[in-house]
Amino acid sequence: MPEIEGSPGTSMHGVTGREPVLAFSVASPMVHTDRTAKFDLPVDSEHKATKFKLFSFANPHMRTFHLSWISFFTTFISTFAAAPLVPIIRDNLDLKKADIGNAGVASVSGSIFSRLVMGAVCDLLGPRYGCAFLIMLSAPTVFCMSFVSDASGYIVVRFMIGFSLATFVSCQYWMSTMFNSKIIGLVNGTAAGWGNMGGGATQLLMPVLFEIIKKAGATPFTAWRIAFFIPGWFNVIMGILVLTLGQDLPDGNLGALQKKGDVAKDKFGKVLWYAVTNYRTWIFVLLYGYSMGVELTIDNVIAEYFYDRFDLKLHLAGIIAACFGMANLLARPFGGFTSDYMAKRFGMRGRLWNLWLLQTAGGLCCLCLGLVSSLPLAITFMMLFSIGAQAACGATFGIIPFISRRSLGIISGMTGAGGNFGSGLTQLIFFANASFSTEKGLTYMGIMIMLVTIPVSFVHFPQWGSMFFPPSQDIVKGSEEHYYVSEWTEEEKQKGMHQASLKFAENSRSERGGKVTSAPTPPENTPNHV
Amino acid sequence: MKSFLLKVSLLLFFLLKITNGDVLFSSLPRSLFVVVSTMEVLKAGEDNITVTFGLNQTVTNQTDESYKKVKVKLCYAPVSQVDRKWRKTNDNLKKDKTCQFTIYNKPYERNVEGFKWDIEKDVPTATYFVRSYVYNDADEEIAYGQTTNDKKSDNLFKIEGISGRSMLIDIASICFSVFAFLSLVGFFFIEKRQSKVKT
Repeated sequence: MPEIEGSPGTSMHGVTGREPVLAFSVASPMVHTDRTAKFDLPVDSEHKATKFKLFSFANPHMRTFHLSWISFFTTFISTFAAAPLVPIIRDNLDLKKADIGNAGVASVSGSIFSRLVMGAVCDLLGPRYGCAFLIMLSAPTVFCMSFVSDASGYIVVRFMIGFSLATFVSCQYWMSTMFNSKIIGLVNGTAAGWGNMGGGATQLLMPVLFEIIKKAGATPFTAWRIAFFIPGWFNVIMGILVLTLGQDLPDGNLGALQKKGDVAKDKFGKVLWYAVTNYRTWIFVLLYGYSMGVELTIDNVIAEYFYDRFDLKLHLAGIIAACFGMANLLARPFGGFTSDYMAKRFGMRGRLWNLWLLQTAGGLCCLCLGLVSSLPLAITFMMLFSIGAQAACGATFGIIPFISRRSLGIISGMTGAGGNFGSGLTQLIFFANASFSTEKGLTYMGIMIMLVTIPVSFVHFPQWGSMFFPPSQDIVKGSEEHYYVSEWTEEEKQKGMHQASLKFAENSRSERGGKVTSAPTPPENTPNHV
Repeated sequence: MKSFLLKVSLLLFFLLKITNGDVLFSSLPRSLFVVVSTMEVLKAGEDNITVTFGLNQTVTNQTDESYKKVKVKLCYAPVSQVDRKWRKTNDNLKKDKTCQFTIYNKPYERNVEGFKWDIEKDVPTATYFVRSYVYNDADEEIAYGQTTNDKKSDNLFKIEGISGRSMLIDIASICFSVFAFLSLVGFFFIEKRQSKVKT
């Protein structure tokens, strides 16, 4: 007689001593492992990896991970390369405070548009082309810094370089095609977090390059221009690597799979419609503007803040500013991890609470950062703020893949764009104005973060509930299949276009949360219902 | 009574600042004069200025025994400080950012011929005046002189900074951009052709 799952004494967890304790791998009977597929990592029915092996470069899953996050990292370096060099640039180009502020706004505004477009490109052409095209075409914009001679030129070039931040969307989308939803929070958080680190790395890299070039004999006003060639070349190299080594889906490239008939070609209008009419999309667009958005804002203003307010030297201000961005190494994956961890016990409700807590805590620390006038306290609050905001970013993208299956690309794009919009708006209101001091701007930004995070309590999934309400009791409406398949019309269902959504619905049942005593079966056992 | 209290508290405030080691600009006597040679628009990296300075003859009862060191600095005029907090004037000389370029730094001598300073390439485009400070043994400012008046409104001169651009950098930039674009287009076509061959 087969043993009933979950009954006392049946759990084999810990017996062999080799099981992983945490959710880095998925070995639950709720996710079918596809053993017919020949991949380096165990995969599910969609051929998405169910395990995350960080130091592997095996094709396709882990190789994609590394190509993806490094491309994104590179675009962050390019976009924020000017920020730590502003004390030199402002003298060379005779900039005023408003010019510097407007350039900061411009640097994040370009990608509001490009992130939206990238979402559609990923849905229709695949993330590989999207990423490669963008990163290669933005290399000339970085090289253009050498021609800039006044404020307007500076603003225009920073605007154009900023378009490249849309690689965020291709990065997250690519991760969602390659990794199973149970670990997607951690995977997306790690990829995006490590990409975001570029905003911190550039604060260290550019002053160092500047010093080296100066020592080699260039005058300051020439040295900073030469320094910009390095980020430009990073763009070119990564573009070539993505084209030669990457692939869109675990089974191959999108174009080839569409020709074979394995992947249905979708219509842009439909994909857009289902993204835009889902209210949850808009709530996350708003929220991301005040987690990612404020991170981008800080990347632009913090080095100058420490240089001017605390009278630090350029490279020292750069080091402190770098610490903010580099916290992404652990902070954003941490947010994704806590999202997955909370989901294991409390399902989607856990993910939502996790997001609210992290983002609100970040806002509080930002408020404090603006209020303190001692350097050690300022650094402390800056670091706490960075952890809160960046973990919130990770937590957000632990939830996004569940809003829609059909329109994932566009929703990722819209959310990403929302991040940039929030950043542009915040810089415009609080940091481009000569009448506000930067510390006042930081305090007000902290308050705004806390207010804007409240709407997350309105996000409700009929199959999983929300922060305060339980899931729908209706058997049909409360099922994952109903939610995801409702994005397709009867005609489309007859053509079989909704198959991918059905598979996804099945794999997403884990978002109901488990009972406290439920434990994963060890990999050697076959699940009972195969 | 009120004005007396005000004066006492101001005096105490100044004394406190000085005993703290912070020298206030408003407390310094204008014991020196400074004259600068030319008033046209000057170019960084090409032109130079000749500066003469010395004890201000109109100020009586001066003693320069405590003058140990002289520094002459290039300072931003108010018009170049507008909307640029990083050049702000602060009475506390430790926090003052008006004068960011030191063009002469030598021990004090009573009769100095004057000196010529080549305008360096890292001087930005702005309007300037020249100020000199004398320091005592403890390296604190004890007197000053400047080319302009108290309001910093006359005898100002303009310097045009270098652009920082060069033909070589421009050409390199264009070459690299063309390479990036061509390699992208090249890859795209090669892949298209390969997939056509396969099907």
